[in-house]
Amino acid sequence: MNKIYTIADNIITSLGFTSQENFSALKAGKSGIAKTSDPKITQAPLQVSQVNSERLNSDFSELGNPEDYTRLEKMMILSINNALAQTEIDPSKEDTLFVFSSVKGNIDLIEDENHPFDKDRINLWAISDSVCNFFNSKVKPIFISNACISGVTAINTGAQYLKNQKYKHVIVCGGDVISEFTPSGFQSFKAVSENPCKPFDANRDGITLGEGVGTIILSTDKNLVKEENPVIFRGGANTNDANHISGPSRTGDGLYYAIRNTLNEAGKSDTMIDYISGHGTATPYNDEMESKAIKWAELDHVPVNSLKSYWGHTLGAAGLIECIAGIHSIKENCLIKTLGYSEHGVSEPINIIKEFKETEVRNFLKTASGFGGSNAAAYFSELNAD
Amino acid sequence: MPTKTTNNMENIIRKYCIIKPHKVIVDGKVEFSDPENTEYGAFMKSIYKHYEVKYPKYFKMDNLCKVAFLASEIILQGNEQIKELDPGKVGVILQNSHSSFDTDSKYNDTIKDKSNYFPSPAVFVYTLPNVMIGEICIRNKFQGENTCFIAKEFDTEFISEYVTGLLDSDKIDACVTGWADYIDGEYCAMMFLVEKSKENIKDNISFKPELLNQLIK
Repeated sequence: MNKIYTIADNIITSLGFTSQENFSALKAGKSGIAKTSDPKITQAPLQVSQVNSERLNSDFSELGNPEDYTRLEKMMILSINNALAQTEIDPSKEDTLFVFSSVKGNIDLIEDENHPFDKDRINLWAISDSVCNFFNSKVKPIFISNACISGVTAINTGAQYLKNQKYKHVIVCGGDVISEFTPSGFQSFKAVSENPCKPFDANRDGITLGEGVGTIILSTDKNLVKEENPVIFRGGANTNDANHISGPSRTGDGLYYAIRNTLNEAGKSDTMIDYISGHGTATPYNDEMESKAIKWAELDHVPVNSLKSYWGHTLGAAGLIECIAGIHSIKENCLIKTLGYSEHGVSEPINIIKEFKETEVRNFLKTASGFGGSNAAAYFSELNAD
Repeated sequence: MPTKTTNNMENIIRKYCIIKPHKVIVDGKVEFSDPENTEYGAFMKSIYKHYEVKYPKYFKMDNLCKVAFLASEIILQGNEQIKELDPGKVGVILQNSHSSFDTDSKYNDTIKDKSNYFPSPAVFVYTLPNVMIGEICIRNKFQGENTCFIAKEFDTEFISEYVTGLLDSDKIDACVTGWADYIDGEYCAMMFLVEKSKENIKDNISFKPELLNQLIK
């Protein structure tokens, strides 16, 4: 079967506008979460991870008129443009597919009655139209809105279109922006942490929200591969808990099935995995469920972290930027610590990464879970690993 | 009429249902309409009663979930064999245009007036289009592949290609798939129960985009 190579990537978050800027901050244990009292976002002070608007507009003005695009579209275009600059792929060609993921899309427009855009711009497909137009792509894009697993689903979906050889290259881009809509909703659930979130910790009390965009370019074209031992996508799966629309499974069954199906597809029959990039939202129920699923999969010995305490929960970007961080963990042979974790707070003895560590990393498993009972997993490894 | 197939290797449409103003079409025939209840909520309730759906959680659902859920109930009636499959091998793959925008607007109404600020978790949870998939999975204990795709219009070519890929790679053995959309009182659900064909049945309709296009005309 043809190999699916990871060719290029980009991350735009509070921690920077490139994957390198972001990964350096993660290595240094630096979080982008800060308190805001911006009335456009919150009624009371709120911890949140935001993209720098001034830099966004100034960087974007080199590509186009910032007023012609929404905040999310600008982030997506900048991110894709940066990833494309690392490759020779021509996005306007018919062999390149765009796959998008977002949970709430241009939701900031719903709150701003005087926004200058067409009323249809609130639709998710309007975002992919706008971004694909920018890159002169004529191929019909795919758009996924699968709650918090959207980013992982988008990678899995893009990979399927490379496996069936319909396209040679897939540009997967996902993201969400922060406005008042999402924080107020999670606050109404009493699911927002007062301090920056503490994944898997005994004192965790909820999520911290964030905004951002991630882009990953996948390709089956070996000629585009620059490294001797590149990171490849090996398998992925989505499942459903079929239990509750807003609460995770009590047993971790849905996530366990997603992990099992992913490793089956990857042809990975042993449990020798170097790293799990967890979902780790830091809500009491999610982290507990995840620990059960990891234990069930007999992966409790594997080092696991959550990056939500660096970027916040970036919804449609989360799965993507966390996979990109995993790819860089392989490339730089290091494991990022779970910021905010000090006292083990889940019932299973899973191996949470407490300190930054330089060590050989040859593969990783990414997991995600979300509203609607959805779960997803994806597995990446070096070309010559297992 | 769609072309029938006798090829037993194909994926087939076991049953399909279209709900649109103000009728329910099942396997190509108008099976139910209610001229006295044409308003959306009333018509949905009338469908719920007609098909004897007994599921109190239905009444908590938002407008989008209601039409998607009812269409899924109708195609699963008389197809109890699906419940005997491995739950992890039954997928729910839907497409939609307006996401959860109807409920997004309702939710936004609860936060825009700061002197009358009452965000509700019961409304907020429906501000995600994939929750309609979650509702169908919970009702039927389906735990397989589930994704909500967004497109301006129902893309039969994409949906049939994607779902066929899942069936042919053995990720799933059966799938509830199709389209469900609700915006400003306009609605439409087009739902198909797709299975791998095990026997050679003359009336099987193969799961192909050109046939889907004929069925939804």
